[in-house]
Amino acid sequence: MTKSKLISSLLLSFIVLLILGFSNLAEAENKESKQVLEETPFDKVMAVVTHKRCVNCHPAGNAPLQGEDSHLHYFNIQRGPDNQGLAGYTCKTCHTTENNDFSGVPGAPHWGLAPSIMAWQGKTRVEIANQMMNPAKNGGKSPEEILKHLTEDKLVLWAFDPGINSEGIEREKPPIPKEEFIKAVKDWIGNGAVIPNK
Amino acid sequence: MSETKKKGLSRRKFIKYTGIGVGLILGGCLALNPLRRKLFESLETKLSPYSGDTSPLIWLQVSPENQIILHSSKVEMGQGTFTGLAQLAAEELEIDFDQITVVHAATDTGNIDPFATGGSISVAVLYIPLREMAATIREMLKIRAAEMLAVNASELTIQADCHISGGGKTISFGEIVEGVTEWDIPETPALKDAATFKYIGKPMKRVDLEDKVFGVPIFGMDAAYPDMLYGSVVRSRLVDAKMSNFDVSEAEKMPGVVKIVQENGFVGVVAKSHAQAEMARRKIKFDYTPNQKWNLAEINKAITVGNGKKTVFQKNGKAVADIGAAGEIVKMEFRTPIGAHAQIEPNGAVANYKDGKVELKISTQVVDLTRSEVAKALGIKAEDVNIIPTFLGGGFGRRLHTPNAIQAAIMSRAVGKPIKSFFTRKQEFQNDTFRPPTHHIMQAKIAPSGDILGLEHATASGDTLFNSPLAPSVVAAILRADIGSIRGGSINYDGIPDHRATYYHVDLPFATSFWRSLGLLANTFAIESFMDELALKTNQNPIEMRLKYIKDENPYRVRLKKVIEVCAEKSAYSDTVSAGRAMGFAASIDVGSPCAHVVEVSIVNNQIKIHKVTVAFDCGIAVNPDQVKAQVEGCVCMGISAVLFEKMDLKDNKLYPTIYGPYKMAMMKDTPKEIDVHLIQGVDKPLPVGEPPLGPIGAAIGNAVRRLTGKRLTELPLSLG
Amino acid sequence: MKISFNINGQGQSVDIEDGNTPLLWVVRDILDLKGTKFGCGKAACGACTLHVNNEAVRSCSFPVKFAEGKDIITIEGLGTTENPHPVQQAWTEFVVPQCGYCQPGFMMATAALLNKNKLPTDEDIDNNIINICRCGTYYRMRKAIHRAAEISNSNS
Repeated sequence: MTKSKLISSLLLSFIVLLILGFSNLAEAENKESKQVLEETPFDKVMAVVTHKRCVNCHPAGNAPLQGEDSHLHYFNIQRGPDNQGLAGYTCKTCHTTENNDFSGVPGAPHWGLAPSIMAWQGKTRVEIANQMMNPAKNGGKSPEEILKHLTEDKLVLWAFDPGINSEGIEREKPPIPKEEFIKAVKDWIGNGAVIPNK
Repeated sequence: MSETKKKGLSRRKFIKYTGIGVGLILGGCLALNPLRRKLFESLETKLSPYSGDTSPLIWLQVSPENQIILHSSKVEMGQGTFTGLAQLAAEELEIDFDQITVVHAATDTGNIDPFATGGSISVAVLYIPLREMAATIREMLKIRAAEMLAVNASELTIQADCHISGGGKTISFGEIVEGVTEWDIPETPALKDAATFKYIGKPMKRVDLEDKVFGVPIFGMDAAYPDMLYGSVVRSRLVDAKMSNFDVSEAEKMPGVVKIVQENGFVGVVAKSHAQAEMARRKIKFDYTPNQKWNLAEINKAITVGNGKKTVFQKNGKAVADIGAAGEIVKMEFRTPIGAHAQIEPNGAVANYKDGKVELKISTQVVDLTRSEVAKALGIKAEDVNIIPTFLGGGFGRRLHTPNAIQAAIMSRAVGKPIKSFFTRKQEFQNDTFRPPTHHIMQAKIAPSGDILGLEHATASGDTLFNSPLAPSVVAAILRADIGSIRGGSINYDGIPDHRATYYHVDLPFATSFWRSLGLLANTFAIESFMDELALKTNQNPIEMRLKYIKDENPYRVRLKKVIEVCAEKSAYSDTVSAGRAMGFAASIDVGSPCAHVVEVSIVNNQIKIHKVTVAFDCGIAVNPDQVKAQVEGCVCMGISAVLFEKMDLKDNKLYPTIYGPYKMAMMKDTPKEIDVHLIQGVDKPLPVGEPPLGPIGAAIGNAVRRLTGKRLTELPLSLG
Repeated sequence: MKISFNINGQGQSVDIEDGNTPLLWVVRDILDLKGTKFGCGKAACGACTLHVNNEAVRSCSFPVKFAEGKDIITIEGLGTTENPHPVQQAWTEFVVPQCGYCQPGFMMATAALLNKNKLPTDEDIDNNIINICRCGTYYRMRKAIHRAAEISNSNS
């Protein structure tokens, strides 16, 4: 090969490599920005909040939801006037303060439904977040109180240790592990609980 | 031995196989289809006589408290048999009804039913024999009392509290029988006339009512022995799969475990408590080798008319396709799903093996069969196995085979202690002997005038009777059609000139067997839905149309007509929709007892809601009319559950659901506000009660829905989507 | 561990290795009160229903450790033949049971309902009584529940 051809091919290779390198970099940048998108504290918090383990007990209607397919709770179980069931049975008739390995019935302290005003079923994450931070709809809680609720309440944290079902199969956990969720809540609320547009 | 006794023996020997009885003896000589069809017809209408021992002394005992103990070879599973038997005995013994205590006869007493408790026949087949035994005992007591009191037997009076008076003196039954070791058994006395009945035909309160209201431990699951241990047995979670390579190393180390027993083809944990046995069993690992992949689609493909061994079990005239006269052919298909028994008390047994003998307390419908199977499995004599049956927490045909007794007995022998071992609810659902799925094709030819010229019912189904240990394998060879699956499958409308019914028998990879009323529910659903559709098509009132096609010559059919008429009248049947409600009618005959339903239905939130069911039922003499009504109510509720909600599914060889809830069943909220039962006495003897009232419910509801929505639902469970 | 509670008005103590053992098995096998039944072990059928501090509880899904210091009533303590509970009286009047296996659970559930709702309507009964009966005695049960409320209200 002549010297000029060699230089051109080297240059070409260099440019190709550069382009490839740049594109890799761009990809990496895109990945990074995507990762950044998926991993904001708000993203993490809402990834948990919108998971079925939480939404099942924040139903829109008159009955709890259950299972991986969020079907209506069997046996015509109803919300009742105080979100604790009816006169003949309450949530506590079957659910105790801990998961039960014999029966596969889940349990946590003060097991029961969130009131209808705190329903999450069928709502977008932005709608839920707005509702959650609004004292008129969240039981009059301040952001600090919401933070405490989300990071310390045993019923909330049950989602990360949901036990086995009646088939002996472990229930699906939210996509973010517990400690990461707790940190994300503190980050998000600590930085003003900013809620994006979508 | 007296003449009377000799007669008794020869009567018993002649009828060897009870459940099939007379029919099978005939069947043994038959090979031809027409004769076979005659046999099916006779089996539908004739009851096989009771073939167990009818010696009064093994049935009726005078207790130390001077009351009567009735040792029943038939078991009590809620169907009210114990109460009916007590009424029969009290009537002829001339004592107060509450002087009789009914207990399950342990096999050691010698009172063993060679057949089973099932088929709705217990009270019907014991109606005469038990009354004869009670009357005989009464006479025996009088004869001896006459000797003791030195008066003529004709001067004696029975007192209602188990005493006999005469010549100014009174002695108790207890005193009469004391010390007597040999009895002369007299000629069977005449039985009481129906006009004088004190107990038969009266709504006596159930003899087991108090025990059941106050939680007395009477069930198989309640039985116990001192020093008892608990067993939990591994059962397959897959169909058509072999289990192998059992690894019990982790299970052995679990708390409370005494021994892991691997014998006779099963693996069981023995532990100090039920909870410990259960938790240890969950740790047993093993492999599955499926023989073949099975999903519901393959089952439905197999259960299809045209597939399987074919038998034409009813044939009158031509096939619809061969009718020459002008007309339109109408055709419809129906399907019903796999049904679970779901009885609330799981199967299990309590066994006490000691010194080469074993005693078992068990909820079972087949006492004799269980004894033989346990004896064979343990390599001991049947006489060394004592079965003490317990009250059943539901039977419904589920306990017509209870080989789980073998596991409890073997575990007891292995550890030298009594064992209580029960299945989990999941094991019950996945190892049930299900109601088989069915497929039906109905066909009719309608003349331009609207006349039905021909009607055909073809059905494909899995086993009910075949492969049951109750039926000798010769039955399948002789009969060809599973007489359980074809129950209710014949066409009752003999006014239709050409009519026939065909059965296709299919082998399935999982056990199917007796489920209350066997093929009746599914067959009636198909036939009666189709008849209703034909009524709509030809613009006829569906009830008038049925009556038109039932001829009066057959007394059996006359009773069906009567039941239909009474039901129509009492329900004020109307063919039109009114205030959002419609009525649906259906009728069936099962094992000689015709039954008709009219249901009143509305649609609420796209759900079928049943407000009222009117039932007309002819079971002959209702020995206890209140309990007959209870059986009808129970059939209606269980029928609603099956036709509106229940079905099993199959995926990757796994049967599911495996728990109540996902296996949807009727609850209080699904129960009609009114169940109005009218009993008709069409013959002067009691006939089967427990199963026949199930027949019409599916079609009746489907027919009401048809009028309300215009939709003809052809699959169970019924759903509007 | 030792767990102490009142059962049917009497003090009881059990010594048990695993405090997670369902109360059902302690009641049935250690205390020999067999009226409370096992139907499913998954809190689905209600056959195991008893009262803990006057509330209906499905004992197959209730660890015995949570019984510490509580008042438990089983069917044996609900009433006796000499002194039946109104529910048992009504159940007897209407001859409700068939096989009888589910009945104690239903009677306990009904008693719990009547503790809070003195005059349940048909709709109340439909909503509150959610146990499973395979024999299909629901029809008579509904009548018996109305009668039990009647007896109960006339007693008080």
